[in-house]
Amino acid sequence: MSSIRRQLLLWLLCGLALAVVVAGARIYTQTLDEANELFDYHLQQMAASLPNDSFGPLPPSSAAELGAEDGLVVQIWDRNGLELYFSRPASKLPQRAELGFSTVNTPRGSWRVFSALEQNNVVQVAQPMSVRQNLAAGMALRALGPLLALLPVLGILIWITIGRGLRPLDRIAAALGRRTPDSLEPLPEAGLPREIQPLVQALNELLGRLERALESQKAFVADAAHELRTPLTAVQLQIQLAERASTDIEREEAFSRLKRGQARAAHLVQQLLTLARQEPGITPPPHAPVDLAELARVVLSEYAPVAANRNISLAIGETAPASVSGDFEALRVMLGNLVDNAIRYTPEGGAVGIALRLRERKAVLEVSDTGPGIPPEDRARVFDRFYRREATHVAGSGLGLAIVKNIADRHRASILLEDCAPGPGLRVSVIFPQD
Amino acid sequence: MRLLLVEDDAMIGESVRAGLQQDGFAVDWVQDGRAAELAMDANAYDTLLLDLGLPRKTGLEVLAALRRRGNTIPVLILTARDAVTDRVKGLDAGADDYLVKPFDLEELAARVRALLRRKSGSADPVIHVGELSLNPATHEVSLAGKPVSLSAREFALMHALAARPGVVYSRAQLEEKLYGWGQEVESNTVEVYVHALRRKLGAHMIQNVRGVGYMVPKQP
Repeated sequence: MSSIRRQLLLWLLCGLALAVVVAGARIYTQTLDEANELFDYHLQQMAASLPNDSFGPLPPSSAAELGAEDGLVVQIWDRNGLELYFSRPASKLPQRAELGFSTVNTPRGSWRVFSALEQNNVVQVAQPMSVRQNLAAGMALRALGPLLALLPVLGILIWITIGRGLRPLDRIAAALGRRTPDSLEPLPEAGLPREIQPLVQALNELLGRLERALESQKAFVADAAHELRTPLTAVQLQIQLAERASTDIEREEAFSRLKRGQARAAHLVQQLLTLARQEPGITPPPHAPVDLAELARVVLSEYAPVAANRNISLAIGETAPASVSGDFEALRVMLGNLVDNAIRYTPEGGAVGIALRLRERKAVLEVSDTGPGIPPEDRARVFDRFYRREATHVAGSGLGLAIVKNIADRHRASILLEDCAPGPGLRVSVIFPQD
Repeated sequence: MRLLLVEDDAMIGESVRAGLQQDGFAVDWVQDGRAAELAMDANAYDTLLLDLGLPRKTGLEVLAALRRRGNTIPVLILTARDAVTDRVKGLDAGADDYLVKPFDLEELAARVRALLRRKSGSADPVIHVGELSLNPATHEVSLAGKPVSLSAREFALMHALAARPGVVYSRAQLEEKLYGWGQEVESNTVEVYVHALRRKLGAHMIQNVRGVGYMVPKQP
């Protein structure tokens, strides 16, 4: 599991360590440069200040004192290469005739050497480079020591700060953990760090959507339970009447009523199930090419007996070749409901037609009837679940058009209700989007 | 006893009417609120059975208007709304009882009988007039402790008269109590039933008030 706190701490400390190293290197090189300049000058001065008169070999004791601190070594030769003076016989430098500054590598490290010609003698003053390097290193360490000592303190501070910064997340997690499935009120957004706010806002939006979905489901279940009561009441009463029947005629009548009641309850349950299945957002529709002419033929053969029963002519009119992407089963239910409605509301001897047109390159599925139509003021509401228009004496579940609307919505199709011209009658057009 | 049933669902209305008719009630059935008001204006009913979700005028509106006009007819609400708030609203609007769908025909008939009993001011489910006792629930009739067998119509007529002893009912009023709309009323039927009742229960039980109608005399 990745931890923001651990990662942040690791990277911050690595960065800091790197910064310390870089700073140390810079201090070292800078100090070394300055020390070089200073000591070179020192070497020059020293060479110039040496006595010009005759040199005799110095006693070794005094030679040890001279420049011991800075590691300085002095050599003097005469023109003939005769060594006149040597401050430290043990660290004898190679004899060189090169005048001015030079850096000499010896088995005992590199040396900085200044040679000058003083009258007849060559004076050489030398110093090991290690003296300068030690000085620079010491300087760098002294400067960076406190910083290095501060690193653990810094680490602890970072640890605590991140912990405090992330505490709102713990609070949110705890608040969410205590929730019951139906408490979907938004989380408080006040006082949150700016980094966490988008997360909480997104969560709140999701909670809002969930709540709306849950509300609509609850409303649906409540509506469904309420609507189921009516056919079940009818069935219960019909059963009791059948039980009470004392003559064959009474019994026959009671059973025929009971059958109608049972058929109605079954139809309502079927419609409820269909509607629940077609509720948007429950399952994504399988999308395959659907031949609308084929669809019309299937629905026609399904409803032809029902129409014939009521002496209504059911026919397919214009069939433009059109195919849409969608769910064949769902579209069959949709067209079936439209045709079923048309047959229910059309008086006996009327006509119901299915047509397939192309309007502005959009596929349009039309169902027209010779029924009473729907007045314009009712047209928006007829798609509501369980909405049944007043003064219709046609039995129905009040769900047919709600199902049609759900399926159309899932196919991004729009529905248009119009009066037939010439009337009377209703024409329902399902207009599919252009592919 | 004549009832007005207001129920918009055809299947339920049909079945309730058939069931209550079998129990000896005369039942008129309408399917919307306006029709209910028209029927109430035109006929005298003993009880109103009212659905709430009605087209054109809701049950509660019908009930409120009824009570505003001072009509005291017993009202039994028949509805699918079972929430406590709905029941309270219905009863507070002036209903006497509340029955939630789906309901049982026997229970419905029993509640109607209870309403009728309360209206007549009696707590005893059995009606006593002198030596005669009538049980509206079981349709059992006894005279001086001996059971008497009455047909459904005979019982309905005797029940109507015995429920309010001393009150004179015209022939037309009695016909109304026996028949709902659309039921064929034969001429002289009331006379025929009165004759049969007198034969079975004794001539003194039903008095003919000449030119007005019939009554069961109050017993001392």
